[in-house]
Amino acid sequence: MKRITAVTTVAVLMAMTSLVLAEPKVETVAEGLTVPCGVAIQPGTGHVFVADSAAGRVVRIVDGKVEDVIVDFPIDKYGKGPTYPIGPLGLAFVDENVLAVGGGGYPDAKDKLRVYNIPAAGGDALNADEDDAAALEIPATDKLAGEGNFYGVAFTGDALFVTCNGDDTKGWISRAGVKGAKVGPFMRAIATKELTEVDAPVAITVAPDGSLAVGQMGEISLPGDGLLTFYDPKDGAKLANFETGLSDITGLAYAPKGKLLATDFAWADTSEGGLFQISAKYTKKKQNIEVTKITGLDKPTAIAVDDEGNVYVTVIGSGEGASGKLLKISNL
Amino acid sequence: MKKLTFRRLAFILVGLVAGILSVASIDSLSAREKQVVELPLGLDPFKVPADNPLTKAKIELGKQLYFDKRLSSDNTVSCASCHDPNKGWSNDAAFATGVDGQMGGRSAPTIINSAYFPLQFWDGRAKGLEGQALGPIANPIEMNLPIEKAIEKLNEIPGYKQQFKKVFRSEITADGIAKAIASFERTVLSGNAPYDKFKAGDESALSPEAKRGMDLFFNKAKCSACHKGHSFTDLAFHNIGVGYDKDKPDPGRFAVTNQEGDRGRFKTPPLRDIHTSPPYMHDGSVKTLKEVVEFYNKGGIKNAQLDEDMKPLKLTEQEVADLVTFMKEGLKSENYPHVDPPELP
Repeated sequence: MKRITAVTTVAVLMAMTSLVLAEPKVETVAEGLTVPCGVAIQPGTGHVFVADSAAGRVVRIVDGKVEDVIVDFPIDKYGKGPTYPIGPLGLAFVDENVLAVGGGGYPDAKDKLRVYNIPAAGGDALNADEDDAAALEIPATDKLAGEGNFYGVAFTGDALFVTCNGDDTKGWISRAGVKGAKVGPFMRAIATKELTEVDAPVAITVAPDGSLAVGQMGEISLPGDGLLTFYDPKDGAKLANFETGLSDITGLAYAPKGKLLATDFAWADTSEGGLFQISAKYTKKKQNIEVTKITGLDKPTAIAVDDEGNVYVTVIGSGEGASGKLLKISNL
Repeated sequence: MKKLTFRRLAFILVGLVAGILSVASIDSLSAREKQVVELPLGLDPFKVPADNPLTKAKIELGKQLYFDKRLSSDNTVSCASCHDPNKGWSNDAAFATGVDGQMGGRSAPTIINSAYFPLQFWDGRAKGLEGQALGPIANPIEMNLPIEKAIEKLNEIPGYKQQFKKVFRSEITADGIAKAIASFERTVLSGNAPYDKFKAGDESALSPEAKRGMDLFFNKAKCSACHKGHSFTDLAFHNIGVGYDKDKPDPGRFAVTNQEGDRGRFKTPPLRDIHTSPPYMHDGSVKTLKEVVEFYNKGGIKNAQLDEDMKPLKLTEQEVADLVTFMKEGLKSENYPHVDPPELP
């Protein structure tokens, strides 16, 4: 009896350990990307699309092959050292053939949220300035700076929500309504900095309950100040705000069964960057968060999850030139 | 017994795993700590390291150490010499003066609301107040007393030996000195200003000039791009060009991180009771708040790492004056954190 109990105990403990410490499987799906900053999975086909930002293009990855879908986006630069060239940023599918692309290649007030009817796999690539693409801007007003660097794009079913990086006193998430083929107007919607007192909304996704989950990057020179905030997309009300202990959340995505995953770039010390699981629960009276590191990654920038729970992450990587990759992470 | 053993093992395992993977390591104020420190109106709770909870006895010990000149090599300089409660918890000179009249190249940052800063010093080279506290004691141009010698000196003072026994249940240690001073510094808080009352609904708390200044602060003048939150600081580091009109600008945070983007970046100072601690900027080069606003109005001083929010603001003279009024009147605490030097053991 003693032996059985001891064996059972060891077995249970081993099972618990494997549950918590399961080694994720990380595979490289595509290499040779330059500052990839956005990733989305096409409904229906399951093809992975990547914003190959510094190359000024959006690509489709099919069986490991990189295929141009939209090319010739303008390129700007981000950062004071290290400095990264950036073009297209956030990606989100509106439906199987309609892709929204957040721009970062123009100065603030000139950057565009574009919405494309994309060609089928193997078709000719579009030009970024294709005539039939919607191109929406948020210009400056008397009191507000123009918006730009549209890093995160999320589609709720009736609107696109886009994180902006222009007005550093407000930290806007902007909204473009979508009705049939009509997209817009594109307007400032949620002043995240006023609601959280932390800078820079960057990552955004739609939670299973329909709320917006937003990663507030905070200051890149300050580790550990990243927030996870939930908003009601109907009125922009803040539902919950969590200090995550993460530094610079660049991507958020829900896996099947509601598991929330986040990528942390960790500017101040990129060796701390990686893929994290976040369990964030809240009611009107209390909230609770647990953050668990799944694996370290070299400057992760965006995340998407397919229907099978495979996680796709873009990383800038280290080294000169095209050191960017699309990684597939499974066995979570 | 068997069940208990299994549960224990399971808890230990889960606890270990959670401990390894969980990010959190510091806690907000506990109920007991809230009884020790009263947060002024407008301030959020600050975090306290789990291994250094606030207690009355520890804060009192830290206060004595903070004001004690015996923590310098020639018994002439204390923490309070350069971070003087009567001078905005800073000093009124461009640079701090250490033992033998030695001077550094940076001004003495205020202690007010330093409880909120995860990284300390102008360049953020120290983690938390505990990481900062011993630096100036040992620094040859500040208090110039190696920590081992500081411990030796304190060991000759029975009152300190007794207090360390009571507070830390140990002999005098470097760790204990740092924890005590940090605990005292955490209590130096400024809030309860007209701005806080205005935010709480008292429309009359701010004068018309201060109200206009507040609107400029959060909008046209873009001050809140960095001076945000309850202490009016993002706790981070920025290059606004101060010192770039000199031959060899101070590298600032670059010296800590070696990242080019951090060259010339310095910590965003908190602004509560800012009128009490001139001169301003990391090098004490700007004498008045009006001159500070005028510096920003010009867009700072150009350099490769200049913060992208630093652009000419096109503020009128009246707008400059209103901004200054907001800072002088709107952020002036009704309960300035004045502390008298304690009786030393």
